[in-house]
Amino acid sequence: MKIILKIFGILAAVYAALFAVFYYDLDGKFIYYIFEPMMVRRYDNMKREDTLKTPYDMKEDVMKEE
Amino acid sequence: MKISKKAKMVRDKMKELFVVEKPENEEKGKRDIKKIARDFWYGKPHEERRLGDLYIGDTGLYKHREWRGFVDTMYYFNMIWLYNYGHMVMDIMKFGGGPVKGVVNFSKGLMRYRWMGQTYLTVMHWFDRGLEGMRGPILRGSAWHYRGMVCETIRQFQEMFASDKKLHGGRESEQWKHNIAHNETVSGSIFYGFHDVLEDIPLEMIPYFVTCHVNNHTVLNYIDAAQSIGLPSDPCPMCQAEYGIFVLDDYPDFAPTMITSNEACDGSVATSVIQDWFLNRPLFAMPQPMRYDDPLVQEHCQREIEECWKFIEQQYGVPFNWEMYCKYAEEQNKLTAFEHEKWDVAANTPYYPINGVAQALYRIYYSQDGNRPIWHEIDAHVRKIMNHTVKNKIVTLPKTRHRVIAWSCAPLYYSSWCTWAYNCWGLNCVINMDSLMFDQFLRTDTYEHALEDLSWYNEKAPMRAMAVGGHEHILSLWDYMERFNCDMVVMYDQLQCKGMQGIHGVFEDEFRKRNIHAIWVPHALPDKRTVSRKEIRKIISDYMITVMREEPLDPTLVDFEDDSSW
Repeated sequence: MKIILKIFGILAAVYAALFAVFYYDLDGKFIYYIFEPMMVRRYDNMKREDTLKTPYDMKEDVMKEE
Repeated sequence: MKISKKAKMVRDKMKELFVVEKPENEEKGKRDIKKIARDFWYGKPHEERRLGDLYIGDTGLYKHREWRGFVDTMYYFNMIWLYNYGHMVMDIMKFGGGPVKGVVNFSKGLMRYRWMGQTYLTVMHWFDRGLEGMRGPILRGSAWHYRGMVCETIRQFQEMFASDKKLHGGRESEQWKHNIAHNETVSGSIFYGFHDVLEDIPLEMIPYFVTCHVNNHTVLNYIDAAQSIGLPSDPCPMCQAEYGIFVLDDYPDFAPTMITSNEACDGSVATSVIQDWFLNRPLFAMPQPMRYDDPLVQEHCQREIEECWKFIEQQYGVPFNWEMYCKYAEEQNKLTAFEHEKWDVAANTPYYPINGVAQALYRIYYSQDGNRPIWHEIDAHVRKIMNHTVKNKIVTLPKTRHRVIAWSCAPLYYSSWCTWAYNCWGLNCVINMDSLMFDQFLRTDTYEHALEDLSWYNEKAPMRAMAVGGHEHILSLWDYMERFNCDMVVMYDQLQCKGMQGIHGVFEDEFRKRNIHAIWVPHALPDKRTVSRKEIRKIISDYMITVMREEPLDPTLVDFEDDSSW
């Protein structure tokens, strides 16, 4: 019985904590102020392939005539 | 007591982030317990909500999320916020081929692609913006539509990540060999005859189109990238963003071929040319006629579709399967039939449980994407809610002052304007132009009928159906206004759409001649820098004040900043 109450208590606490995250928009605040700027820095500094060097020529035999 | 500078800063920051200032005119010291209890249980009456006070500066974040009354807040928390976060994790695992593989591929995609990491984790705020102020059945019905779009988005990016050569050391996996990439404007219905063997995935829908609605910052990188290599800045910014993804090397390489379309203008043709260059692999261009009423183009259009099927057969060695086509086309017809039922309720009753933004986005998403199990699941939920509202005569948007039809192409960065317009002015956006496209059942009794209907279906695609399909189609606004019992038009003015700019004057004349209240809303599709969301709101508010002589329902929503918001 004690264990059941303990589990119930933990679940209730988790549920209450999640409600606080929801109600105070803590998920949005975390993403906006911390996660997004961090990711943007990463993408801005990412080494990317120079796609302009892709050759541009005619491809052959894309469609076979019947 | 002396407060240190640091403690004061922390206190001020906490106040900025969490404390909602009380309105100046509120009487101090008086507490009406009965009213507090009533507001707790039912939520505040519309006119007392002061939703604008909840925002933190121009971020669009909330000091706290809205209290909608006990039942609706709990519904939002449990059945929307928790449910969707939970299901997103499950979808990532389910569509990624198992828990470990799914999470690994998702993480790789998150670290590699800007459109993934910057955009999709903010998804619950997309819900918040669209569902602000909603109560009861319309909150539930609209949220189900959002859930469908999230699920399908996860399916698509997980399919892409699982077979993406860039995430797997350049390896061409079996899955890669069985994928077909296509323009987001090529309808999924084209591929029904190959459906169980090959997987068709629109290339730009997730990296570009959906991002604009969820987080409008991301797309600006792609528009700027397109212009940075000397491409002109005056074509449709949608096309610019679509090829900007390639300039920035931010496209997933998940398929050996590409199928493109001229949807729905010359700018789009340029997209195909640039994609042909950057992808450097077999590409089939499937142009569709603009002036599709001409009977001479029908045969041509059908032949284009057959040629596309032939291309797939040759490239993949998989024959077109007529039985499979029929199976999925008939499934799709069920979605179309339910859409007609929805329109019927929206047009003739005040009991429609879907708000303007959910209606617009869900409809364009599923009809473009094609038949998928999630759409049937969502429709079943919505049918239940709609049956309930109609049977019990529940008025879903009780503060409606005007029934609005939104016409032409919408601002992608502010698709939720109609939620704001209802909360602030009582404008109920009943239907929009893009919801009315793809209005075509697909017959499956004979091959000839099937092909005929499929070509019609694609001719009635977004933008083409009305915007560039000929003036007689764009002027069908008057018929739809009558059909949906609307007394007002929000007329989108896509500043970089040459097709729509050409008919601007005709509309001006017609509005005057017919004595119709029309609000012109300028925008540049995905690019919020041309006309900001605040400017859009100002245009609508100015019209409501100066022409309609109306008072706002919620004065805190008339003028607020949100330039830095998602």
